[in-house]
Amino acid sequence: MERNEIFNKVVELAVDKLSAEKAEIKEETNFIEDLNADSLDVVDFVMALEGEFDMEIPEDDVEKIKTVKDAVDYIVNK
Amino acid sequence: MKFSFDDFDFSKFKWSDIFSRGVALPTLTIGSKTATVPIVQGGMGVGISASRLAAAVAQEGGIGVIAANAIGMLEKDYYKNGIEANMRALRSEIRKARKATDGIIGVNIMVALNDFHNMLQVSIEEKVDIVFLGAGLPLKGIPVEALRAANVAVVPIVSSAKAVQLIFKFWQKKYNDIPDGVVLEGPKAGGHLGYKPEQIDDPAFALEAVLPTIVEAVKPFAKELGREIPVIAGGGVFSGSDIEQTLTLGASAVQMGTRFVATTECDADEGFKQSFVDAKEDDVVLIKSPVGMPGRAIRNQFLTDLENGAKKFFKCPYKCLASCKAEESQYCISLALDNARKGKMNHGFAFAGTNAYKIEKIVSVKELIAELKMGYAESCETTFTRIKDEYAVAMERFAEVKQEYGVALDNGIEALKTEYDKISEMGASDYFDDKIQALESVENLKKNYAEAQEYIQELVEQMQLFMDNAVYE
Ligand SMILES: Cc1cc2nc3c(=O)[nH]c(=O)nc-3n(C[C@H](O)[C@H](O)[C@H](O)COP(=O)(O)O)c2cc1C
Repeated sequence: MERNEIFNKVVELAVDKLSAEKAEIKEETNFIEDLNADSLDVVDFVMALEGEFDMEIPEDDVEKIKTVKDAVDYIVNK
Repeated sequence: MKFSFDDFDFSKFKWSDIFSRGVALPTLTIGSKTATVPIVQGGMGVGISASRLAAAVAQEGGIGVIAANAIGMLEKDYYKNGIEANMRALRSEIRKARKATDGIIGVNIMVALNDFHNMLQVSIEEKVDIVFLGAGLPLKGIPVEALRAANVAVVPIVSSAKAVQLIFKFWQKKYNDIPDGVVLEGPKAGGHLGYKPEQIDDPAFALEAVLPTIVEAVKPFAKELGREIPVIAGGGVFSGSDIEQTLTLGASAVQMGTRFVATTECDADEGFKQSFVDAKEDDVVLIKSPVGMPGRAIRNQFLTDLENGAKKFFKCPYKCLASCKAEESQYCISLALDNARKGKMNHGFAFAGTNAYKIEKIVSVKELIAELKMGYAESCETTFTRIKDEYAVAMERFAEVKQEYGVALDNGIEALKTEYDKISEMGASDYFDDKIQALESVENLKKNYAEAQEYIQELVEQMQLFMDNAVYE
């Protein structure tokens, strides 16, 4: 998958799970700080990522995924 | 006629049919186990609820729960072999409880524990009846098959409907199974709280507000899998009347902590229990725990020292909680709680619920459960009486309306009759002469009658509304 395509999917999931506006999501958007997500939202979002990209994200890695860029990079590098 | 008093279905208003719960406490079924008393004694660490308290509660028909966190502190070698000591101590406490009673025994395990899986493993090996999983979401890596094979029911502890949805959806997808119930721990509870500090006094997060949303959240899952998913609610439940109110809001049972601390059988030292008896209302305070959550405790010198920036000496044997910032912390929470358990209140503190100040004396678990049963029955009687009284008032008002209706009807018929008699007395020719006038007066009468009818209709509708409210309020 192209990086761009992954980015779009991540944005789509963020819109769905974190009730964010599509227009406000950029590469550097921080889920907790910018989108007001709480810890439950983040878990829900990460689970959606796992489903969408058919992968397991271990607990320790979840802590490292703070921004949209982190999520996209993580998926690209897997 | 558009309506009749006889059309009303009075059976609907029979208070005894509507309020049929009865005054004895209902039973509580979780998975394949049924407790005769719908009271779960909340797990209380460190070592506050171990085998003695859990067995006593189970023996009285409730669900007794052993708290697993740092239970190894009951052993001598905790600081050398922490994880092993935890497993050994948990196993030994479960066995002691089993020996003391045939009742239902559960284990409370914090998901955030680093040895969460070891604690779960021991609980499965010892075939406890229920594991209560709190302080974190039980999502990944839950050995569901092993739990099922050992017939261990699983009950997550949550603080919002969102968490219920997340857990149940995940379980359904990943394990093709769902938990056997949920505990809602509200913001008035003792111990660590699953709320942000600013949410704790916000009415939107109060137990009464969240409980109905949790009851709704489990419904679709219960329906889809054809199972009962009891919701157990706690945090501030103190009396039998509190139990009645909580069950009325849709809970199947209550979880209680604070009340069980003040029992003879509670595993803590008498000094710990005495701090509950002595506490005044403003002694029960919120603290910031090193594990990154707020907590509720009884204020003492130790907590005041911490507030003033004191650093208490401790060594961290192994990082027992994933989220604990031990290096930055002023104290070790497990050590402080364990010291308090031993009655060394200068070197620790007691977690406690908002209602801890209401505790007046230490009683036996048997006495406590008897008091709660009695309080529940009395509270039911009060509710019965209230509804009965409202019903009586409604019936009285109904009788009044019925009479007004009768009078209006009689008057209408009476007037019609008079007019008819007059018309027929006049004879045919005179009648024709007076036809227009007569018809006019009949028209008039009809109008009056219709008006009377409308008025009665209105009264009846008001009545209906009043009775609906009286019964369902
Ligand atoms: C002394 C004390 C220790 C507690 N320790 C734990 C614990 O280790 N794990 C947990 O899930 N809940 C813990 N709790 C919460 C109780 O299980 C229970 O949910 C709570 O006390 C209910 O509120 P109440 O005290 O108002 O009845 C503790 C409560 C108290 C009072």
